[in-house]
Amino acid sequence: MKIAAFLPELLRHLFKKPATIDYPFKKIPVPKGFRGTPFLHSEICIVCKACERDCPAEAIEITSVNEAEKRFRMVIHNDRCIHCAQCVDSCPTVPVKAMEMDSLHEIAGFDRHDMKKSWEYIRALPKRPAPAAPAAPAQPAAEATEKAGA
Amino acid sequence: MAVLKTFLYLVVYPGLLFLFVYATFVEWFDRKVYARLQNRMGPTHTGRAGILQPIADFVKLMAKEDVVPDLADKKLFSALPVVGLAIVITAGLLLPVWHIDPAVSGPISFPGDVIVLLYLLSLPTLVLFLAGWSSTNAFSIIGGTRTLTMLFGYEVPLFLAVLSPAVLAGSWRLAEIAAFYRAHPLLILPNLIGFGVALVAVQAKLERTPFDIPHAETEIVGGTFTEYSGKKLAFFRLMADIELVVSAGLLATVFLGGFGGGFIFAFVQFILKTLAVVFLLSTLRAVTGRIRVDQVVTFAWKWLAPLAVLQLLIVILIKGFAL
Amino acid sequence: MKFNIPIGPQHPALKEPISIRLTVEGEVIRDADLRLGYNHRGLEKLAEEKSWIQNIYLTERICGICSHSHATCFVQGAEKLLEIEPPRRGIYLRYLVSELERIHSHLLWLGVAGHEAGFDTFFMYTWRDREVVMDLLEMISGNRVHYAINTLGGVRRDLDESLRKKILEGLAVLKTRSEYYYKIGAMEPTFIGRLAGVGRLTKQQAMDFCAVGPMARASGVDRDVRKNDPHTFYNEVEFDIATADTCDVLGRTVVRIKELFESYKICEQILHKLPDGPVAVKAPRKAKPNEVVSRYEAPRGENIHYIVSNGSEKPERLKVRAPTLANYPATVEILKHGFIADIPLIFAAIDPCICCAERSVELIDSRSGEERTLRFSDLRRMANERARILPLQRNVAWPF
Repeated sequence: MKIAAFLPELLRHLFKKPATIDYPFKKIPVPKGFRGTPFLHSEICIVCKACERDCPAEAIEITSVNEAEKRFRMVIHNDRCIHCAQCVDSCPTVPVKAMEMDSLHEIAGFDRHDMKKSWEYIRALPKRPAPAAPAAPAQPAAEATEKAGA
Repeated sequence: MAVLKTFLYLVVYPGLLFLFVYATFVEWFDRKVYARLQNRMGPTHTGRAGILQPIADFVKLMAKEDVVPDLADKKLFSALPVVGLAIVITAGLLLPVWHIDPAVSGPISFPGDVIVLLYLLSLPTLVLFLAGWSSTNAFSIIGGTRTLTMLFGYEVPLFLAVLSPAVLAGSWRLAEIAAFYRAHPLLILPNLIGFGVALVAVQAKLERTPFDIPHAETEIVGGTFTEYSGKKLAFFRLMADIELVVSAGLLATVFLGGFGGGFIFAFVQFILKTLAVVFLLSTLRAVTGRIRVDQVVTFAWKWLAPLAVLQLLIVILIKGFAL
Repeated sequence: MKFNIPIGPQHPALKEPISIRLTVEGEVIRDADLRLGYNHRGLEKLAEEKSWIQNIYLTERICGICSHSHATCFVQGAEKLLEIEPPRRGIYLRYLVSELERIHSHLLWLGVAGHEAGFDTFFMYTWRDREVVMDLLEMISGNRVHYAINTLGGVRRDLDESLRKKILEGLAVLKTRSEYYYKIGAMEPTFIGRLAGVGRLTKQQAMDFCAVGPMARASGVDRDVRKNDPHTFYNEVEFDIATADTCDVLGRTVVRIKELFESYKICEQILHKLPDGPVAVKAPRKAKPNEVVSRYEAPRGENIHYIVSNGSEKPERLKVRAPTLANYPATVEILKHGFIADIPLIFAAIDPCICCAERSVELIDSRSGEERTLRFSDLRRMANERARILPLQRNVAWPF
């Protein structure tokens, strides 16, 4: 047993740079693939509603604005979002996913209602460019209709 | 002139104003050293390098709501922080920081002032105990009893350790003790054991880790201070800071040769020496974990008291044979 | 003079609400009583409303520190019900995250133990080093706390070569730091003085009270689901069960540090043996009517999920037994005859995750109501017997 075994380690750190950073003024960049806040590429969305169905927090809401024009509105309730990125995983569009995550993570607000994000757009047609792809977009769409029917 | 000088002494230096400013600075220094030892930043933003943070904390607490518990002894509860603060500031006045002629005895430097200073430094402990007791909160009462229990441990070693250099110097007056060691710098060395004992005892008196048992937050919430808030808590915190300054000043006077020379030189010496003592105390704080109250008493009587007695023995032997 | 001291529901030593009523005499605890139910969240009921895939994220949020444990435990069971087998690479990655989480959780615990013992410097240093593993987890999964790496039939993200190297580097750093803490822990007298002999739980008691995890292992019971019931992958890697026989908080600390080394070993083996191939298979949305019990060794001990499916998209029933709950009976017992100063340490030594356990309060009350009479009398008898045979703890004497 030794008295003050920690002392050498402490004194070594006395003139070292602190491990912490001056947070609100300096920031550490987030790594690649960080799950920040979800957003929509509205020009690609085919309104299959897979994201709405799979969202564990019920943060995604897709409503029809105009049936004839096929106009839809998607609202992402960022106050409910748990940033799991399941919507991105569920999104069937190829080659680019309509749902994506950005690296935004400092999203506190004073009012939860201000944290909504919404897009109003016309439904895109499912693309069928890739040879193996056609089944992929069709299937979730089918499931969506099945769910709507049930 | 004498009236002006006394006034300056009481209010400006080393009285109220200086003690307030310097105590907040020492708190900042303590926090910063503690943080850097832990590889953190410590206060950074209020003022340059966070130097005004303790003052900001003080102002913030002064502005906060002040709650007095219904069941508490209201007069005692409210009076204690002020009394405590007054005691430590009075103790601060006894430090021989101003250039004092060792030959002339006065109201702030007289034979026996080291004893008065030691007892004035014991009073805040009693104030804390009463504060805990008068809050009638279970946590406060436990904190208060822990304060007293610890007092039995460290008080005697502290007195023995601080008085040994006085015995060697053959004086009960701080200014004379300091002057003696300035004249014989080599005689500081035999007092090193006493210095170590006094450092640990002062750490216990100031209730800092490893002796922060009376307000161990993970066990008894705020301990003594659980019910205190607002201005009263601000006063208690200021009291602790000034107590730190005065204790560091006492150790610097008795063990490190005090603060001689002219006004400026003495001032610089005071700052440097107290900061050195505070640095040692901060390091002690960073390097240890909290111990239990029974371990404090055991430790004090097993190690501190025998070492203090040994120190006294060394001093007496030196005095008997060498001088 | 006897006091009743309430610790909690709000108390600085407790990060989450739980109430411990203590009867103390001076500094010595004479009696302890534990009350739960301050943070009931209705998670099990909620799980019945969500689909299988949504429930992964729900179970992940049972706990903030061992989030992956609950998600993995659920996914293991759900995969059995959905009758799918994840690919090897997926399994390896899943348990890589498991072990990294164990490292982060134990480092966190070490810091908390330091803080509870009033040793804040230790706390700062361990938490600084914990950042290394947190950053690794963030790089692997995209988040620091809720990794959400699991999906039905595997994991959601793959690992590339550069990341694999980074993880190995990070593990090397952590290894040297852990060795340092192991050494320091053995040498710093104020720390050891606070931990040794505190909260004694004998081997027999640990078995009687069904303690789990490091709590049981520190009492010499080598109980570890990874070894006793090696599921999917744990029989393919080499590791030992870390045990100690000091039966006190010091033992629990040592066990956790040893487990850190075992986890480093497992992670390195995973990274070296990582098979190629896909990381996930596609999962069906519906499960046939069936039931399954899934066990998983969380950092705090054995985690059990009982899942019933009824042929629909949603589970019929999810029952979660978090490890903390299994450790409560033992905790109440060891709190008695301790010091007030030891409460935070004793309580922290089970690494309590109160919210995890809270959601199952309802069931515990109704089920153990009948058991309690039987168990409690046993408990009483044992406690009396122990008090008669054994002298009180060494340090009990009050200095007055």
